[in-house]
Amino acid sequence: MNGIAHYLDQLLFGALPYAALLLFFVGTIYRYRAQTFSYSSLSSQFLENRQHFWALVPFHYGILVVLGGHLVAFLLPRQLMAWNGVPVRLYGLEVTALAFGLLTLVGLTAIVVRRLRDPKLRVVTSRADWVLYALLLLSVATGLETAIFHRWGSSWFPTTMTPYLWSIVKLSPEVGLAAAMPWAVKLHLVNAWLVIGFFPFTRLVHVLVVPNMYLWRKRQVVRWYGTKPSTANH
Amino acid sequence: MPTNRFAHPRAPGGRAALPVGLLAGLLALAAGPPGAAEEAATYFRQNCMSCHTIGGGRTVGPDLKHVAERKDAAWLEAFIVNPKAKLDAGDPYALQLKEEARGAIMPPIAGMTPEIARSLLAFVAAESALPKSQFAGLEVTDEPFAAADLERGRALFRGGAALANGGPNCLSCHTVRGLGGLGGGRLAPDLTKVYERLQGRRNLASWLQAPATPTMRPLFVDRPLTNEEILPLVAFLEEAARAGGEDNAPTQPTFLLLGLGAAAVGLVAADAVWRRRLRAVRRPLVGGRHD
Repeated sequence: MNGIAHYLDQLLFGALPYAALLLFFVGTIYRYRAQTFSYSSLSSQFLENRQHFWALVPFHYGILVVLGGHLVAFLLPRQLMAWNGVPVRLYGLEVTALAFGLLTLVGLTAIVVRRLRDPKLRVVTSRADWVLYALLLLSVATGLETAIFHRWGSSWFPTTMTPYLWSIVKLSPEVGLAAAMPWAVKLHLVNAWLVIGFFPFTRLVHVLVVPNMYLWRKRQVVRWYGTKPSTANH
Repeated sequence: MPTNRFAHPRAPGGRAALPVGLLAGLLALAAGPPGAAEEAATYFRQNCMSCHTIGGGRTVGPDLKHVAERKDAAWLEAFIVNPKAKLDAGDPYALQLKEEARGAIMPPIAGMTPEIARSLLAFVAAESALPKSQFAGLEVTDEPFAAADLERGRALFRGGAALANGGPNCLSCHTVRGLGGLGGGRLAPDLTKVYERLQGRRNLASWLQAPATPTMRPLFVDRPLTNEEILPLVAFLEEAARAGGEDNAPTQPTFLLLGLGAAAVGLVAADAVWRRRLRAVRRPLVGGRHD
């Protein structure tokens, strides 16, 4: 056997996941207890709003749908396979997923460009932010590469990657399943573990404290003192 | 007392189960050969049968009947554990095997150890001594396939017909020429010429009984294709090879263009939906113009 490759596979697909998950759980819990008020996306919306729309909206809708798709493949592999059993449904799903992946790329690129270009924003951008953007860009790029050049992920993920991920959960990683994948997929996977491990140290923690009740709470009317009644639409 | 925790009413039965299990295990060990042979047969079925017969002639790899008479045990054991090492070392017999298999190299088998290799060789020797081994290979008809077989094979490949044991349709990872739609998957090789590569029906059918590559083995080891599925698939792939060429449908740009189009629609929709909300309210707030 090729010794070095074997140990590298064990390290990246057998050990790294646990290091990442340990960091994730210990880090997020510790940070929430020690620095509760740092749990924030640290929004820069009030500093710049024109480009922000084209960054924030495509990125968030894109990543939510794409991550949701990964989650469905992880939790409901049989149902996903049944859906994909008819080619037209498979093609529809893949095109939709690709579109949301592309939206994620557009949004993320706009996020990075906006931060690079605006001096005010560069001041409020930490080193951890830049590292995070690099990791996320790599993640989206390798994800799109997989979607386009290693089709059809929505059919092979549930039969190959889902058993791998569950083997991690069951504490007996089947490294071979991941190691047999093309390098774009492996890079995507390793990068995902890195993002999970780095998660507690970044503004990504806002994912855990999304104020979901905003979606169904009553509207609030904002009134301003000392000005004539607003004519703007709310 | 702490030990009282174990004095549960159900404990005696639970304890009894252990010796009984042990006894059964010991009996199985004492019986030895039948259990071991069955285990070896299962292993052979899952890992070796796709390319080798025992007394059925060459398929992708050589017929293993009386293999021990061709090469000594130490060589065979080392080759089974790491075929590529022997080839890389320029071993003349290994190179000859590669030549005879028209360039096909035996893939490394995950988890193979010298112990497993030894028990496999013992199993092959025992099977070689039989008048007809259970692994003498498939009988595949030379008759032309029927149009119904072709259609069924196409449905099994593309989806539309589910595989009996729950395996994924071929389209998930493979493509062939003329599939229609956006074509097949690109994770794994184009199968347009697999019929030629494996040199015909019998090898292809044998291969499909227990696909042994690192990617396919874990998928199909518990969900094997049935013979009723293998023959139509062989018919379909034979037809694909007859038509010739690689998968030449220009699907890659089509797929990407469809995705780009849908993403553009998404952006336009977002702009339309949020035109007033973000720009009419928040910017005036920041700018201090509240009117």
